[in-house]
Amino acid sequence: MTFISIEFLIFFTVIVFAYYLIPHRWRWVLLLAASYSFYASLSSYFVLLLLLSTAFSYSTGIMIEKQETKEQKKKVMLAGICVLLFFLGWFKYFNFVNDSIRAISAYMDWNYAIPYQEIVLPLAISFYTFQAVSYLVDIYRGKQKAERHYGYFSIYFAFFPQLVAGPIERAKKLLPQFKVEQTLKYENLSYGMKRIAWGFFKKTLIADRLAPIVASVYDSPDPTGSQIVLATVLFSIQLYADFSALSDIAIGCARMLGIKLTENFKQPHLAVSIADFWSRWHITLSAWLRDYIFVPLCKGRKKRSEIYLVIIITFLISGIWHGAAWSFVLWGLIHGFYRVFGDHTKHVRGKMATFTQLDRSPTLHKWMKIATTFLLVCFSRVFFRSDSVTAAFENAQLFLTPSSWRPSGIIEAFELFSLLDLVIFTFFFVIVQLFHYIERKNASTWNWLSQRPAFARYAVYVLLIVSILVFGASGQGFVYGGF
Amino acid sequence: MGRLFIKLIIIMTMALLLFIPVNSFVKQSRSYNINDDILTFKKNPYPVDIINLGASHSMYGYYFKPTGLSHLDLALPAQTIQYDFKLLKEYDQYLKPDGVVIVSISQMTFVNVETEDAGRYYEILDRTQIEPFNLLDYYRYLHLPGTNSESFTSALSSKWKNFKWTSHQSWANDGKNYAERKSEYVEEQYRKATEKNYVEQNVRQLKEILDYCKEKGYQVILTMEPVHQTYQEHFDEDVMNRLVFQYLNSLELDVPFLNYMNDQRFADNKDYFLDSDHLNSAGRKKYSWIVYEELKKLGYF
Repeated sequence: MTFISIEFLIFFTVIVFAYYLIPHRWRWVLLLAASYSFYASLSSYFVLLLLLSTAFSYSTGIMIEKQETKEQKKKVMLAGICVLLFFLGWFKYFNFVNDSIRAISAYMDWNYAIPYQEIVLPLAISFYTFQAVSYLVDIYRGKQKAERHYGYFSIYFAFFPQLVAGPIERAKKLLPQFKVEQTLKYENLSYGMKRIAWGFFKKTLIADRLAPIVASVYDSPDPTGSQIVLATVLFSIQLYADFSALSDIAIGCARMLGIKLTENFKQPHLAVSIADFWSRWHITLSAWLRDYIFVPLCKGRKKRSEIYLVIIITFLISGIWHGAAWSFVLWGLIHGFYRVFGDHTKHVRGKMATFTQLDRSPTLHKWMKIATTFLLVCFSRVFFRSDSVTAAFENAQLFLTPSSWRPSGIIEAFELFSLLDLVIFTFFFVIVQLFHYIERKNASTWNWLSQRPAFARYAVYVLLIVSILVFGASGQGFVYGGF
Repeated sequence: MGRLFIKLIIIMTMALLLFIPVNSFVKQSRSYNINDDILTFKKNPYPVDIINLGASHSMYGYYFKPTGLSHLDLALPAQTIQYDFKLLKEYDQYLKPDGVVIVSISQMTFVNVETEDAGRYYEILDRTQIEPFNLLDYYRYLHLPGTNSESFTSALSSKWKNFKWTSHQSWANDGKNYAERKSEYVEEQYRKATEKNYVEQNVRQLKEILDYCKEKGYQVILTMEPVHQTYQEHFDEDVMNRLVFQYLNSLELDVPFLNYMNDQRFADNKDYFLDSDHLNSAGRKKYSWIVYEELKKLGYF
């Protein structure tokens, strides 16, 4: 039962009805049962691991709180984190490390006998492990009290709208919301439904329509340079549509239950720098990395070079978190390099803008920065999308070859689409851009829409529903669902 | 809350009113009704002299009416050999005792394994034969095909046949573009199939079909339909050996194999083809006569 299915819509409708019908004191039972059922429908083998991780984090949290000295608290916290990371490492990184050691051994002519192990990655382990780590660290730091109610804590760990791919929430924000009695509010239901519909729209009409086109190039043994350029740009659009749709559906579902989740995206492809990009893309992960990796590692360091090293390490961890492969490590390193380079050359770039008088045309300057940032992000995504490091370097070389950017070649590459599919995709892509444009001009497109005449509003809602029903492609999993 | 409920009703009703004509458009489309002949046969079955299995080459390949033979065409586009067998077992009860089963072999025979559109088998096969079977998908396919974007796009494509890139037209660049794209597609599928050991699975399935026919006493023949010369250029002897014949020869079959792929009566005549690898109505009639004559020579009729 994935988000994009009739089964999920039926399941969720039943949960919403039941949620508001039963007394508040029993709602946690309902949410917990719903969360475990949802997880079991996707990954029944690993429910036990989820239960075990929950119990472990719950008891470790209490143990940290019970310690008398800061030093003792730290020891318990570190031990707890090590155990959680051991699970994550075993399931997600064992083969990565094993394969890497084997490759080095073969190169060095050493004898290394441990073969490849068939290990299935438990669904959502990266997400709930990060939530658990933040919970333990916050208790240690005194920002969060250890939760004593096992039921509420378990929902925090496994809340089904955000379990699979975030947003990565902090206990401080989520736990109190579960405990407060949520009343049935028209605004919550209405807003939640709109966000879910918008998520379905982006996923089925943009992401899943692009997925086979991108795959046809990246799976091809000999793509042309222009095809790589086009497919990489399309992959960026696909990835954004896919992941932001997942967040939209999560936020919408939670809102219908009266729970407010953190926004995860703010039109990231309009970022004016890499730093800006990371404040708009997967915001909850960026905030997590900042609070639990970057800030602790920066403690006591004042030299610029040391801070840069910490930035690189933080992005390296971000890369490894995304996937257990060297191509993801390189992707993280590239972003770390971008970030450091951007910071180091900020002053020089400002001077250059003055020298070329670019700063006299702020709009042009801004759009040039947006275009540059987008292309840098696209380049890094060559590594994100390629199946191996070798393929990534080959594709990156094609991406950087000037002849790959010939307009005639890129126009020809559009023939990867059938003409009909291109027309359909373009139509829906324009709608998404229109939505973003309105959002930039107003605080929220949904608020803007609510001020339009009833006919216009209904037309938009009907267009959304009919488009999803008729043109919505399905069958592709969520990219971030695999992390 | 009543306000929200009324709004939802209005929106859903409007959406439904727009959806109904779309759904009916898909239901009436050629692509949705691709199994129509088999379905008609299922409703009014009769004894047949000849059954042909296979994918689109076979589906567009045979028309035995002028020969006086009664014929059941069980071939469907991109049909896997697994579904060939399932259909044969479902409909062979109508094959006359001395009937003939034509098993069509193409470049895709040993490569195809995943059925892209199981929906078209819902009405012509027993449910238990369809894997994986999902009740929701079943009712959705039968009653709400408009909710399947691929069905809708196929219906639109068949309505606007010429709405394609110039280079994607069937005979653009003398059919070479089409043949090249098809060749790339087949190579890609072959690569995946060898990686996942689908080829061996399909070879075994062909053997099972032939053993089944032998057990039932049917007369079997393997065929390969004619293609245009632009297509042949991409599927020369080496390529065909790699994709098909190395596997076929390994079975050491004692079944006649009529290979018309490079038949010069068709190879350079576009008038017989829809595109460079599918026969049109004229090609189908001519080819079926040739096969019929050959079957007679072999003593099948």
